[in-house]
Amino acid sequence: MATAKKANTSNDELTEGQMTRRRVLSWLSGFGLFGSAVVSVFSNLVFIKPRATYGQPNRFSIGKPEDFPSGTRITLGEHNICVVREGEKLCAISTVCTHLGCIVSTSETGFACPCHGSRYDQDGNVTGGPAPKALPWYKVSLAPNGELEVDKGEEIAAGTYFNA
Amino acid sequence: MAKNSYFSALKEMPANIWHSIFRNSLPSSDLGRAQTSFTNFFLHIHPVKVNRHTVKPWYTMGLGLISFFLFVLLTISGILVMFYYVPSTEQAYDRMLDLRGSVAFGTFLRNMHRWAAHGMVAVVFLHMCRVFFTGSYKKPREFNWVIGVVLFLLTLFSSFTGYLLPWDQLAFWAITVGASIAGYAPIVGKDIQFILLGDTNVGQEALLRFYVLHIAVLPLVMALLVSIHFWRIRKDGGLSRPEEAEDLTGEKADSLSDWPKELDVVPTPATVAASAAVIEKKQYGIQGLVRGPFTKVGNVPDKSVFSWPNLFMAELFVFVVTVAGVLVVSLLFNAPLEEPVNIAHPPNPAKAPWYFLGLQEMVSYSAFWGGVGIPTLEVLILLLVPYFDRTTKGVGRWFAKERLLANTLFLIFVIVNIILIIVGTFFRGPNWGFVSPW
Repeated sequence: MATAKKANTSNDELTEGQMTRRRVLSWLSGFGLFGSAVVSVFSNLVFIKPRATYGQPNRFSIGKPEDFPSGTRITLGEHNICVVREGEKLCAISTVCTHLGCIVSTSETGFACPCHGSRYDQDGNVTGGPAPKALPWYKVSLAPNGELEVDKGEEIAAGTYFNA
Repeated sequence: MAKNSYFSALKEMPANIWHSIFRNSLPSSDLGRAQTSFTNFFLHIHPVKVNRHTVKPWYTMGLGLISFFLFVLLTISGILVMFYYVPSTEQAYDRMLDLRGSVAFGTFLRNMHRWAAHGMVAVVFLHMCRVFFTGSYKKPREFNWVIGVVLFLLTLFSSFTGYLLPWDQLAFWAITVGASIAGYAPIVGKDIQFILLGDTNVGQEALLRFYVLHIAVLPLVMALLVSIHFWRIRKDGGLSRPEEAEDLTGEKADSLSDWPKELDVVPTPATVAASAAVIEKKQYGIQGLVRGPFTKVGNVPDKSVFSWPNLFMAELFVFVVTVAGVLVVSLLFNAPLEEPVNIAHPPNPAKAPWYFLGLQEMVSYSAFWGGVGIPTLEVLILLLVPYFDRTTKGVGRWFAKERLLANTLFLIFVIVNIILIIVGTFFRGPNWGFVSPW
């Protein structure tokens, strides 16, 4: 204790800016310790952010075009999309509320969210409630085996239909 | 000779074992009372003597202690429930049903865990209100207030991670909504949401992550912070109290009826003056009372009482009332369990537990401001309150006149949050539309 005190006072007596070996070493080791702490926190963050996920694939088949006759407006619960067909025009609209991720249900006027009261029209445009943006439309295409394929990885502009 | 000594050792064994565990017998003197406090591991976190103001029941109402005891009950009931729980989306819900159907005391333990959790959120908040309205966050207790605010947030986060675990409808949708709220945080929001859930949606990864947070990470961090919180009470000079509680020279101190009954020595003006000088320099603590070869207790007149039995009996009383309360509620009401998760159909309305309904109500106006902006501001203001409010007047009294402005502002904060919770609980129906509860 006494020696430590002595060392402190002799340190204090040094004038500003004067670099001793001790001061340089303590700066360097302090920097090293702090740096290691930062690196370790960062690597922990890298560790807990998964590189691969185990969820559903983005691209999936929803069946043949004949399964969706004109006038269809059907929600596919497992994929959280609503498939709409009017005449030859077919589209897939997300049923995940853009507000906080609840699943919207179809209503007479379009879609309604049970969680915080967001409302959308038939095309998914916001008509009320806290939702910040419209329900996204996903790209629909015809796979070589004749089945319709939806790609949730690719959002398209509302009103862009697939011609069945 | 040898036979005799074995015999006597055997005869003395019960007493020797007892005394090897408890170093001194039940105290009958002040010296004994002091030793009982500081030779016992569980008691020694208390000072030997506390100010008489500290044991006034209506000052603290034991709210901090109740929070702690609920934390202990939650740890015990949580560990027991863990023996039968599997954090898997395929099994979790069935395990809940098993707990209800085939595990002895399963329902009761789950009830205890659920109701103690609700209780802890409420009591920790009330404790924070007590500390504010008595001005107890002021210097030198600023940092303990900060730790307390962090503990309140950890309590909320613990309950948030806990209610995904039953894997029922409430669980799934509350976490979907909660994690989406985190996603609205600027810049890092989406990353936080992804790291929290371990995936883009709530699923197996989220269940496992929340389980680890709930049973290991958060309890460990909380236990550490609770320890620091307690330790700092001592280091910051004991519980807050008004200046009069220290006053030894005033009229009050002279009147004999005001002195603790345990005091052996009737104070004379000379001893009062002498001890005032000592107490001026010393805060309460073992070191403050143990100097020299003897434990000097009882011969320094001050306005304190021995922790044994005054403080410990009060704490035991609070403990018994807390446990009894949780037991009675757990016998009378069963913890709800909703339908198993259906990822296609949220319940309508999908409501969080009561303490998050204020947040949900705000979120229904604006996801960013209601879920991130305003709550962050509120927490920041709470954390910084003791660094804004630097006056030392009105400490140690409920609703002191000197603190009218601060108390009024805090009361408004409390009332606004309670109103939001009431609106969210009773006035919101399907599609979060306005309904009348009558």
